[in-house]
Amino acid sequence: MVKELKSAFLLVAIVAALLATSSPASAQAIRPKLGPSYVAPRTPDGKPDLQGIWETRNAAAFDVSEVAEGHEIPYLPEALDREQKGPRVDPIAHCKMPGVPRITYMPFPFQIMQRPGYVVFMYEYLHDQRIIQTNSRPHIDGIDLWLGDSVGHWEGNTLVVDVTNLDERSWLDSARHTHSDALHVVERYTRTGPNTINYEATIEDPKTYTRPWKISMPLYRNTEPGFELREQECTEGDNGRPIHPLYRPAPKGDPLELTREYPVKKETSK
Amino acid sequence: MKVGLLGLIVTASLLALVPVPASGQSAAPKAPPYNPPRTEDGQPNLEGIWQPRTSGAAFSILPHAGGFFLGGGSETGVVEGGTLPLQPWAAAKAKELTQHMELDPTGHCHYEGIPHANYFPFQIFQTPKYIAVLYENMHARRIIYMDGSPHPRDYLAWMGDSRGHWEGNTLVVDVTNNNDKSVFDMAGHFHSDVLHVVERFTPVDKDTINWEATIDDPKVFTKPWKMKFPLKRAPQDFEMLESGCFEGERDAEHLVEGLATVPKDHYTEKEKEKEK
Repeated sequence: MVKELKSAFLLVAIVAALLATSSPASAQAIRPKLGPSYVAPRTPDGKPDLQGIWETRNAAAFDVSEVAEGHEIPYLPEALDREQKGPRVDPIAHCKMPGVPRITYMPFPFQIMQRPGYVVFMYEYLHDQRIIQTNSRPHIDGIDLWLGDSVGHWEGNTLVVDVTNLDERSWLDSARHTHSDALHVVERYTRTGPNTINYEATIEDPKTYTRPWKISMPLYRNTEPGFELREQECTEGDNGRPIHPLYRPAPKGDPLELTREYPVKKETSK
Repeated sequence: MKVGLLGLIVTASLLALVPVPASGQSAAPKAPPYNPPRTEDGQPNLEGIWQPRTSGAAFSILPHAGGFFLGGGSETGVVEGGTLPLQPWAAAKAKELTQHMELDPTGHCHYEGIPHANYFPFQIFQTPKYIAVLYENMHARRIIYMDGSPHPRDYLAWMGDSRGHWEGNTLVVDVTNNNDKSVFDMAGHFHSDVLHVVERFTPVDKDTINWEATIDDPKVFTKPWKMKFPLKRAPQDFEMLESGCFEGERDAEHLVEGLATVPKDHYTEKEKEKEK
């Protein structure tokens, strides 16, 4: 009896030891690799699937040096001087679009949609949008836009977006980090897991910085069930005169029920 | 006298033109209904950039004479029957609003709302769960959810909330949750926060969608009414560019009460007679 118990114990011990050594290995085999080598699911046309609602979780919108490589922005002395003498009011305070890359790290969610030949960014902030063609077409000529001209292409698992034609008036953050009209941004979006994208942007502007510099940050998927982008409107109080209060309380009840009753006609027919 | 002559010419040319295609149609066998191409998941494919032909609806949805603020004139407008079933108080307010263009929300760079946003070019993208409509003007946008989910509660928005479904080849979009600040046009036609719009996008050939909307708002009108216009596919090299609108308050000084008004001859003779 004792012998049987002993052998049973031994068996359990062996099995436990085997499990202890083998389980991490087997778990790893099942779990997809995270990080830069993560292979993202594909869209029907075979491109990495970046679709969904994403958001940053950092304070870059307030000070972009937080997410800059080495926490440093390599300013030219004359650019610093220009910045000191330039406008002191954040353009977004006047409801202007924040520009690229700032729109990415505004503290609002955004939705990525993919169609063959297109990647579309729909930002909740200021209902901004970027319709990006992934055909590497040449940049448009002669117009500067708040969100610039974005042209995309795929490099393996990564969406690369080349952005030029950016309006010199936009700021990189509310700490008044500025740039010139020579700004050139190259963004890289790489899925690193089921709910994460690594976002990286190279910021180049020979009129403002001594060298190109980089920012990077993770984008997190909003996994709240039923979460949808809502309307964010900025010009509600232009001229300091509140005309249209944002998000007025809705009438109670079913919005469809509310519209079914018409006032009864005073005059009856015939 | 000049107007009379112009009217005669227009009438005469219409008379000359209309009967020819009409008689041609009656003789020809009925064409089969257009069958649009499909997306990968089988929806009728409406993707592309569309340019509405609105007869100046942004100025007035009703028949209107041309003029400074009313742009080119339109003899038909886009409203079925050419008149709006306004409640008496609403008719009075609409008339008053024509003298207060400074209150026009589009002049303050607001979203236009539905149907107003549809008077300007837009691009349609279709995914299995939603259809996105991105407008060039005001960089407005809406996502039409196609998954059968209900409208949200306690939420009002300039663009409302759009939920859609397919009826054959027709995309039917139900728009509720509208605020009472957007307007139909620059001619004082407004709505309340119970506005309910049902839009129908029907492709009729590869370059045309017939757009039609039923407008339902018992706080402002006496019955639902309809408006419609065609959407034409933009040439292939067209791209949506950025429309900023809000570039600062440089226009504020021009938004002076009563400065811009609707020309006196805006309302058609028909309406004037009705008022009497």
